[in-house]
Amino acid sequence: MAMVLELQATPAEVMRGVEAMQEFAAKQGVPEKMIFGLALALEECGSNIVNHALKRDTQRKFRVIIERAGDLFSIELRDDGPEFDPTAAAPRKSQAEDDDLPGGWGIELVRRKMDEVHYERKGKENILRLTKRVSLSADEEK
Amino acid sequence: MSLEIKVQRPAGNQNPGVITFQLAGSLNTATAPELERQLSVVLAEPIKDIVFDLAQLKFITSAGLRVFAATRKTLKERGGQASFVNLQPQIETVFDVIKSLPGVSIYQDTGALDSYLALLQSGHFKP
Repeated sequence: MAMVLELQATPAEVMRGVEAMQEFAAKQGVPEKMIFGLALALEECGSNIVNHALKRDTQRKFRVIIERAGDLFSIELRDDGPEFDPTAAAPRKSQAEDDDLPGGWGIELVRRKMDEVHYERKGKENILRLTKRVSLSADEEK
Repeated sequence: MSLEIKVQRPAGNQNPGVITFQLAGSLNTATAPELERQLSVVLAEPIKDIVFDLAQLKFITSAGLRVFAATRKTLKERGGQASFVNLQPQIETVFDVIKSLPGVSIYQDTGALDSYLALLQSGHFKP
């Protein structure tokens, strides 16, 4: 079962995508706590594309492919912005410190909430694939 | 989901200088700029302490954390702090990133926060 969204490069469109994903995941029986993590990951990665890759150019669009296959739930984001691998960012310390710059928290949150974050550059596209196993019990969810 | 922001100023001389922001809904890239704007108005005053009541906050992302982190930095420089109360469990997992920052205090409920505010008012507490 899959859903494909084409979103304009605006923060409001990112949230439209998040809400569509939440609805899709709920229909697929994904636990509520896990949907929160998926929504957070999609918002962080979608916002990154909108703000940095596509520079909030409302004429430009990016695609989100959401899929449930067996016990795997995946979110794939595709944009035609400059090559950028968010997974290459060094992991942050577990908690921020006083003099830390606020950047980098987004990808850190994505890493915490997802089981796998995979990036590849294919042709002129950045492809970021986020995967979460949904068969865990509620107690094991992160 | 939108973000609803209610700003409460202290009545009479109760906890003077402490302003409460009640947030409801979703604090994300789309809604964070409005919170930032309303905070900048309040921070233009010589305020040292801000309380964020997050009982009705359902969703938060790093865009929200950045607004909170910037606010706590300003307040810390003034000798005050940013306090957060009534975090829902899922919100707390996101807060994990900034909870150890100096100038950030998290209270489980309003009772614990009230104790802090009472100390603040008595002048026996320095953040």
